[in-house]
Amino acid sequence: MPREKQRRAWAEELNASATSDGSRLTYDGTVAFGNEALHRWRLGNGLTVLVLVDRAAPVVAYHTWYSVGSRHEQPGKTGLAHLFEHLMFGETEHLGAGVFDRKLEESGAETNAATWVDWTYYHELLPADRVKLAVKLEAERMHRLILREPQVASEKEVVANERRFRVEDDVEGLANELLYKTAFLDHPYRWPTIGWMQDIQGFTPEDCVAFYKTYYAPNNATVVVVGDVRERDLLMAVRDAYGAIPGQPIPPEDIVPEPIQIEERRTELRKPSASEKLLVAFKGPALADGDHALLTMLSEVLFGGRASRLYRSLVVDRELAIDVRGWVSTFRDPGLFECWVTARESRTALEILPVLDEALSRVKADVVGNDELARAKARLELGSLQQLETASGKAEQIGFFEVVLGEPAHPFRRVEAFRRATAADLRRVARRYLVDGARTVLRVVPERPSAEAAQ
Amino acid sequence: MRAARAQPTSLRFELPGGALALLEPSHDVPLVTLVLAMRSGSAADPGEKAGLARIAARMLRRGCDGLLAEQIDFRIDALGAEMAVETSPSTVAIHAQVIARNLDALIDLLARMISAPTFAEHELGRLKRETVSEIIEARDNDRVIAQKAMQRTLFAGHPYGRNAGGTTQTVPRIDRNDVVAFFQRHVVSGNLVVAFAGDVAADRVPGLAARLLAGVPRGPAPAQDVAEPTMAPGRKLLLVDKPERTQTQILLGTMGTSPSDEDHVPLLVANAIFGGTFTSRLMKEIRSKRGWSYGASARAAIDRHRQAWILWTFPAAQDVGPCLKLSIELLEQWVTGGVTTREVSFIQRYLARSHAFDVDTATKRMHQTLDVDLLGLAPNYFSGWVAHVRAVTAETANSAVKNRIDVDRLLAVVVGTAAEVLDPLRSAVPSVSDVVVVPFDAE
Repeated sequence: MPREKQRRAWAEELNASATSDGSRLTYDGTVAFGNEALHRWRLGNGLTVLVLVDRAAPVVAYHTWYSVGSRHEQPGKTGLAHLFEHLMFGETEHLGAGVFDRKLEESGAETNAATWVDWTYYHELLPADRVKLAVKLEAERMHRLILREPQVASEKEVVANERRFRVEDDVEGLANELLYKTAFLDHPYRWPTIGWMQDIQGFTPEDCVAFYKTYYAPNNATVVVVGDVRERDLLMAVRDAYGAIPGQPIPPEDIVPEPIQIEERRTELRKPSASEKLLVAFKGPALADGDHALLTMLSEVLFGGRASRLYRSLVVDRELAIDVRGWVSTFRDPGLFECWVTARESRTALEILPVLDEALSRVKADVVGNDELARAKARLELGSLQQLETASGKAEQIGFFEVVLGEPAHPFRRVEAFRRATAADLRRVARRYLVDGARTVLRVVPERPSAEAAQ
Repeated sequence: MRAARAQPTSLRFELPGGALALLEPSHDVPLVTLVLAMRSGSAADPGEKAGLARIAARMLRRGCDGLLAEQIDFRIDALGAEMAVETSPSTVAIHAQVIARNLDALIDLLARMISAPTFAEHELGRLKRETVSEIIEARDNDRVIAQKAMQRTLFAGHPYGRNAGGTTQTVPRIDRNDVVAFFQRHVVSGNLVVAFAGDVAADRVPGLAARLLAGVPRGPAPAQDVAEPTMAPGRKLLLVDKPERTQTQILLGTMGTSPSDEDHVPLLVANAIFGGTFTSRLMKEIRSKRGWSYGASARAAIDRHRQAWILWTFPAAQDVGPCLKLSIELLEQWVTGGVTTREVSFIQRYLARSHAFDVDTATKRMHQTLDVDLLGLAPNYFSGWVAHVRAVTAETANSAVKNRIDVDRLLAVVVGTAAEVLDPLRSAVPSVSDVVVVPFDAE
């Protein structure tokens, strides 16, 4: 039986025993995910389910992506989306504190979660015969989480410690936070996903309950399953576990678009550090923008690998830097094109900036060489393949691109865009985005010299 | 539909001159992982020139007959490949990954790099300066600072106490003669293993490996002369002083396990109960109950000889005293009180079922087979892992912990701001015999 017809027959068969409208399954079609098939399903309560059967290993990746991230927070309540990444492992109506993790560990599963500006996701990696445990547990915590003291207070303290670890005592974390705070004036991308420390410490159980009731609902979630599963059995388990959870109205986003930056913003961070760092950021395209793949490729020409222009220039030839990096934010709304340079211990950001500027000017003036273009394409192809090596890697790609773009097979369109890119395309995006008068420059200055520099 | 795989199926090929080739095939993604490993590591470095093995391996990329360093870098990127050096006390390995269609070209490039490296003086000078800068830059990372302090103090005087990357003092002492001598002694056929994982046909492997090693001189693996590490009695506190820390890094260390110990697996099982999972004793007491640290774990490292057992947690500066005190109490309870049958049953289920993720990719399976060879592990170390875990009882686990973890030989390393944390730390380690404070850039 052709796969579409077979799935429609499954839907009909499963819906015959559905107990409510919310638990009725709709088959929404199949898309190619490379050489594999990704099947899209929807429950009556709005839950999206994406299934890719992959029998390379007897394991299953089960991901639950919620369309809620730090962009949905309000000033004064920053970090709430991320706090949930912790609270969601706590007590529920049917599971005592700690039971969620114990049940998964007892089954040999690995579990964790991540939050960023546009999304939050929870993931389990299980032996193939244990997938129904993830279905039950994720459905339980989607609807029946208990949010009260002292658990909220305890998790706030854990998050405060996470912030100390990732930001307060980490120069790069602190610099990254300051960069976005300086580059964005109005858009929620200006605050850090982990939240400001005083906001983290101020959350109440009531704040958490309100956030949970607003955003944790089946119609705001996508379940992605990749691995060695029987699709029909999985769907029946999903229907039975999630079908009774009601959908709820998701408030429309209240995002203020970031005004066009028309001036250069400079700032400085003084902290104990081994060396100076230079961060230069230009406003970049949204992930959905066709220019995103092209700017990513330009970043590769400039910063990717030891043959890249700025690695050769700053690390090898001039020995001014120890590390160079470029990154184009993979955000739903326009983010940044970040250029990071870590100076050697006795060199300064002031020596590095003219070299960086010269390299950026060159890609606006001249087309890059064919050999550079070919190297960037080869490296990006390698990176794309590396993301597809495991069930978890595939699930992450599918979930991310579904939640941010509504297009789970987008990684393959990106690879096509990389293949089609020309040197002229790269010069065009360089001219469009590398605007000298509209960038943010951050210099990290060591508060005291290292022992070597002082000698 | 493809057959599911659960265990390594590595193919072995004995090559002329004593070299070994391994293959763990998988055709799911058109990628090939390639590891060229030596059965020698940083333990072979002269103490005053620590970092030599790593420098010598990194120099292979810095020029060979007919190719400058820059040309090598350009070729690697053009092939859609990545290449990096990993150094441990017992091994040095070049790790590469490449788009499958370019495997032959990568083999030919790597063959030129290892058969006729130029070791140009100016490139060595450049690499040494780069390495020193990397060492200094790593001081921004408090966890790395703590790990280095633990390693050099716990294994003081032993080759395992040397940092594989060297120090700002030892790296500049390395000269071209050292690099050439290391290369001539260690890059010989009998000392090399070539391992492939991924999209490559089995019948091609002997030929590919032979091409890769064609220019490598024949010769036996050099003798290893590493004594069993020991630790003096007593409890010591080493505070690494770094300004403006809101948080601390705590490492508690002592001697751990050797893969040849009869109680090796029971110790690992007991350790998983103590600090190996999210619901372990450490996580429950330090993170879940008190919120003191984002993480708390314990790990028993594995090498050819006995390695360290290390507890790690990172509380806020104001909690460092109570957190270190509690960590030591939990450790003592674990050693004296042991683990329960119920805990053992739980962790056995976890370890046996999670084994699926130790072997779910060809690269992971290849690394298991490689480790068996490089670290001299029992042939069934990984393939028999689940059976070995299931054979552990509470009695054998507790006996292993009592036997191997000596709470009277304990080193506590803390990275923090001394002015704020030294006093609370002094009282946190019962019976401490030695308290030392060093600056964060101490080596």
